[in-house]
Amino acid sequence: MRLTTLLTLIVLLLVITVSCSKDPQQAAHKELTLAAISGVEGDALKAAALDYERQTGVHIEITQFPYANLFEKELIDLNARTGAYDLIMMDDPWFPTFATKQFLTELTPLLQKRGQNGPDTDFVDTSIALCRHPYQTGSLYALPYVGNSQLFFYRKDLFEKHSLKPPTTWDDVLTAAKTIQEKETGSGMYGYVMRAAQGNAAVADFMPIFWAFGGEMFDASGKPTVNTPEGIAALEFMVQMGKYTPPGYASFNADEVGAHLLQGTAAMSINWPAWISKFEDPSKSKVIGKVEFTTLPSGRKPGQAEIGNWLIAIPRTARNTEAAMDFLVWATTAEQMKRSALGGNPPTRKSLFRDPELVAKFHAYPAQLRSLETSRPRPRTPQWNEIENAFGIFLSKANSGALSPAEAMNQANAEIEKIVQRGR
Amino acid sequence: MPKLRRLSNAAVKRHLLPYVLIAPAVAVLLALSIYPLIYSSTVSLQVNDAWSPGNFTRLLSDNFFLTAMAHTFVFAVAALTCEFLLGLGLALLLNSHIRGRGFFRATLLVPMMLPPVVAAIVWRLLLNPNFGAINGTLKQIGVNTESLTWTASPVLAMLSVIAVDVWQWTPFVFLVLLAGLQAIPQEPYEAALIDGSTRWQTFRHVTLPLLKPAILIVLLLRTMDLLRVFDQIFILTEGGPGFATETISLYIYRTAFRFFDFGYAAAMSFVLLALTNVISVVYIRLLRNESRA
Repeated sequence: MRLTTLLTLIVLLLVITVSCSKDPQQAAHKELTLAAISGVEGDALKAAALDYERQTGVHIEITQFPYANLFEKELIDLNARTGAYDLIMMDDPWFPTFATKQFLTELTPLLQKRGQNGPDTDFVDTSIALCRHPYQTGSLYALPYVGNSQLFFYRKDLFEKHSLKPPTTWDDVLTAAKTIQEKETGSGMYGYVMRAAQGNAAVADFMPIFWAFGGEMFDASGKPTVNTPEGIAALEFMVQMGKYTPPGYASFNADEVGAHLLQGTAAMSINWPAWISKFEDPSKSKVIGKVEFTTLPSGRKPGQAEIGNWLIAIPRTARNTEAAMDFLVWATTAEQMKRSALGGNPPTRKSLFRDPELVAKFHAYPAQLRSLETSRPRPRTPQWNEIENAFGIFLSKANSGALSPAEAMNQANAEIEKIVQRGR
Repeated sequence: MPKLRRLSNAAVKRHLLPYVLIAPAVAVLLALSIYPLIYSSTVSLQVNDAWSPGNFTRLLSDNFFLTAMAHTFVFAVAALTCEFLLGLGLALLLNSHIRGRGFFRATLLVPMMLPPVVAAIVWRLLLNPNFGAINGTLKQIGVNTESLTWTASPVLAMLSVIAVDVWQWTPFVFLVLLAGLQAIPQEPYEAALIDGSTRWQTFRHVTLPLLKPAILIVLLLRTMDLLRVFDQIFILTEGGPGFATETISLYIYRTAFRFFDFGYAAAMSFVLLALTNVISVVYIRLLRNESRA
């Protein structure tokens, strides 16, 4: 008797567990699901989704994840073909991985169904180029939502005080860093601040120097070429700038750099537009009205910023492609994107960068548009995460003094070569 | 006839009941441990969906893997030594009848109560070279902190992550050893006293042998924990600067979830598992010999 009761209980428990798990097919036509980044970029999309629901009655379920988890989550879901998401938000360096694995829906046929030949020409060219696979020339698999690209930040008050002209070349930057640090000695002021923690941080702060010095990560045949004389000279320059950077920068990430800028203890930096509004916030900033923004300095070649756009794509496994496309087109219209821009996200449309209301609110917009239009993507390879990790380790090693710039670049080249070989 | 049936029913129950009771645990184990173990071993033996030992041969030529292994051992040996010596010292001290014993015992356990992630974030703030409390205090007493970039110079970064682990886990070693000390009966000490042994002799020939089981258990647990260290280092240095504090768990995590190479990550995990097993077996042998003697 007791045995039967026990067995019944177990069976009952199993039945309850099974019936509790949601049937994915049930939800198919009533709602869309979207994976987004947590933070200001994802929040804007969330607000747009609420508006969209009010207008169309289509409910959009948004799940937000922190930066590192979002990539894992999306890749695992797309790889397992769970069909969990109808729309995914992604950072542009992830795009080649998703596109190469054929995880994404081609958007041009969907646009054609809606009577459009291709994406709106109002999108910034460098942003829309990121959404094509292969880069710039291939088919369209995403639309750009947030148009970040690096800017050069400098303290205009200090530049005026020491009669320095706004920096346009890396030589100007070095001279200014030296002058400011020498003249402001004793005030805890550093001439420059950068991040050289291994991984994304070091690579992002190095690429604009590398490109300006004439460095290229790969030659035409895809062989790594970071240890050319140009590449080594660029790293030597970065290490030299380290003398004017607060100690410990070999482990700095965005937060430490931001803290030095907000506390007014560093005069120049390469950074992303997300920080701009923080400089004007009295509760955080000691430098209100003192920071100016411009495009990246030049070297042997014109200065180029690294582009970092947030894209939105429709996975191939999405259950409701046309409804997803409808939301995607709607969310990236000028009208909707303006609302996102007012919330602090740089747009990807030229018209919005010139919109008088936005320009009045965001003084850096002209510089941002110039920077975005001349920006460069990180190398478009599905192995970018691995390459960036290896490259970043050696950049960080050179900056922490563990290796000389030449040794670091030679070893980086050998490691990148191994990664590329494995991918073939 | 009815009597016989009741008997067989009872027998069946007696034989079946243990299996029924253990079934849920076995099912959970199968689903959460055995299946993933088998699955990951098949994944580790595949490269590009074809059977190949490539993931294991790649280990030997992977500088990152070998360096991460070396870091893991340096970290584990250094932290284990410090934690053991400090923990033993504290346990001996607080086993004697000193004043405020209860207070010290309780406060010593605080670091262990903090989640490792929280402890690491607190230390990250304390160790910040420019805004952190440690360099701030040193500056006030006149120390030049320019070169004390705790998490940013290769050697200091390794020392920092070791120090944080020692800070957090010495209390655990202390707790186990204290319990071990308190389980030692008084008689051997009295006998030693009568035989006129010195304090060192008493410690060497009475305390240590009787404490050995507790020592071996705490060393075993700490070694396994140290070899798979992840959270503190991930938050304190993320393996940096460069590669200076990258341990094997961090590298496995990166390979699996950043580079999406589950086969290679699984291969590395099996190597780590094998090493941990070998070390554990050595400890357990020592322990068993001890209990036999």
